[in-house]
Amino acid sequence: MANPLTPAERARAGRDLVGVVVAIAAGTAVCAALDGVISLTSQAMVYLFAVVAASYALDRVGAIASAVGAVTAFNFFFVPPRYTLAVEHREHLIALVAMLAVALLVSTLSAALKRETAAAHASETRARQLRELAAGLLAAERESDVLRIGREALARRFTGPVFLVGARDGEVDDRTAIPDDVARGLRCCVGEAAVLGPGTGRWPGLDAWYVPLGPRDSVVGAACVAPADAADAVGREHAEAIAALLAQAIGRLRLAEANLATSAALQRQHLQSTFLAAVSHDLRTPLTAIVAAASSLQQQRARLPVGEQDRLLAAIVADASHLSAVTENTLQLVRLAAGGEALRLEWQAVEEIVGSVVARLRARPGGDRIGVRIAADLPLVRGDATLLGQLVGNLLDNALKYSDGPVQLVALRAGKRLLVSVKDRGGGVGEADRARVFEPFYRGGRIGATRGAGLGLALCKAIADVHGASLVVSARPRGGTRFTLALPVEAQPEAALAT
Amino acid sequence: MSLAVLVVEDDREIRDVLRASLAAEGFDVLTAVSLSEAAALLDHARVDVVVLDLGLPDGDGAELVRRIRRTSSLPVVIASARHQEAEKIALLDAGADDFLTKPFAVGELLARIRVALRHRGTAVQPAITRYDAGGLVIDLDAHRVERNGEALHLTPTEFNVVACLVRADGRVVTHRQLLVDVWGAEHIDDVHYLRLYMAQLRAKLEDVPSEPRHLVTETGVGYRLATE
Repeated sequence: MANPLTPAERARAGRDLVGVVVAIAAGTAVCAALDGVISLTSQAMVYLFAVVAASYALDRVGAIASAVGAVTAFNFFFVPPRYTLAVEHREHLIALVAMLAVALLVSTLSAALKRETAAAHASETRARQLRELAAGLLAAERESDVLRIGREALARRFTGPVFLVGARDGEVDDRTAIPDDVARGLRCCVGEAAVLGPGTGRWPGLDAWYVPLGPRDSVVGAACVAPADAADAVGREHAEAIAALLAQAIGRLRLAEANLATSAALQRQHLQSTFLAAVSHDLRTPLTAIVAAASSLQQQRARLPVGEQDRLLAAIVADASHLSAVTENTLQLVRLAAGGEALRLEWQAVEEIVGSVVARLRARPGGDRIGVRIAADLPLVRGDATLLGQLVGNLLDNALKYSDGPVQLVALRAGKRLLVSVKDRGGGVGEADRARVFEPFYRGGRIGATRGAGLGLALCKAIADVHGASLVVSARPRGGTRFTLALPVEAQPEAALAT
Repeated sequence: MSLAVLVVEDDREIRDVLRASLAAEGFDVLTAVSLSEAAALLDHARVDVVVLDLGLPDGDGAELVRRIRRTSSLPVVIASARHQEAEKIALLDAGADDFLTKPFAVGELLARIRVALRHRGTAVQPAITRYDAGGLVIDLDAHRVERNGEALHLTPTEFNVVACLVRADGRVVTHRQLLVDVWGAEHIDDVHYLRLYMAQLRAKLEDVPSEPRHLVTETGVGYRLATE
């Protein structure tokens, strides 16, 4: 051996030497004590016992040394001619050779036994480690946890640098803090979905093993472990076993993730189809009325009394306006839900917004039922005038639709909030429905009563939300419904000089 | 000779309806389906008022408005959908006279056209300096404001704001135009000035300030004095 012995090895060699000397000395002493009492053959047996004992305890070198030493001592002290190393009889020579053979055989057997014992120990340790790893992985909730636990497990067995990365669709996830050559190896390993490195037949020249996590087509990562020795099949198997556990854990997490995404997508799809159903109902109803009225005018005009013609024309205009409002609400709701469009938040006067909405609604049938009470000196609010106008308009529109009596709009300040309430004396919203009236597709008990409530309130809620405002519905003491929008009042802008 | 309206609109149905209803009102109606066709017509035909649809296939209506404004005060009324708010305001700032939000009733279109036409040729006519409607009289030359026969006192800034609206003669004045005219270009983003002064003006000029009949708010766009 070119390598110098380590201190541990030197100490071991010293202990072995002492063992050999002690065994031979003991054998010699026993033989000497019994010299003349027992035959030469029996003395050989004593030496043989010493050799067997030494061979069992020591390694192969020690066993050979003890056999050679025992034969030499036996020859020197007891085989005639005594005190020489000359061998007189061929018989004695055979005894010597036999003793050497026995020593070697025993040493070999005992070494094998020891190796197997050690291997059993090691495999028991590995099995325990794998069990612990599996248990640890069960508790892991994120892929990063799995990778961390995996790195620790690999580092317990492999002293060289250990790398472990996740991979998706044949691409290594994160290559930060990984040397380039290792990253290349990992990528290759993921691509080939096979163990690379010494003893694998693939890239045996490497000084590390690259182990993929998972089988071909579902490689979820790769590990790089060193040192790697072609002869250390057990080590490689251990690395592969760890890799299999990690692959399982990561696979489990990804499956859960995919399931979650799928159910979210399903839910979205469900919402979308409900949304579409609601919208198409809201669009189709006025369209049906328009087509009916228009075609009636087209085909039967001559037979229709003038009053009836006027009524049909008015219906067309009213339904088309309604259709336009529904379309506007739907588009706005979708726009707000998408969240892409930036809001135009400017200082707004609630009085102005209410004023222009009321002016528009006054022109409609029933518009004269609206009463407006706005407190003087209301603070300005930050908001998008078009959206806030749409909100107030929808609330008033609803109130007009669902009640026959007066509709009140009240705006006043209450501490840090500006309250805008729309109150009617209609049938009211049932307790159970109150929480749900703002859901996009909810039509509550009002189905059939009148049409097109569909998205209006949902849009109101969405608009309130983007303004950091609350919108609640409550029952009025003596019947009817009150919707209250509470807008936050911010620090007012520096007022322009009142000149 | 009847007045000529140029309708720039790419949808055939809408174009046909507008043509029919405007012709019924006695206008000569020219139509164009694109900005380039409109530009060509403007070069070769007599046009008294333009109704311009936004979102035409060949680009931005602002270019046409700027082109018209370089050479004339030809009235331009914009017709736009809600989601074209920003473009609409840009065109008004660029010199368009007024706007209509789609869908609109024919009555609204005719009203806007009438208002716009009143302005025809203001370059040569004296500027509008008087407003008299529903008991409210504003006389810019005499610097006098009366409500139901009673003289009102306005602060100088309030008067300047009102004067701006009176001169527009019923057309919408954008926030930007008002801020620049009254306070100067450096206050172009101070919309809250307008909110505050308009509130003061409504309190003084309107019978019911929360439901103004004169100072009309065009939500998100600007203000106008109601003339009809």
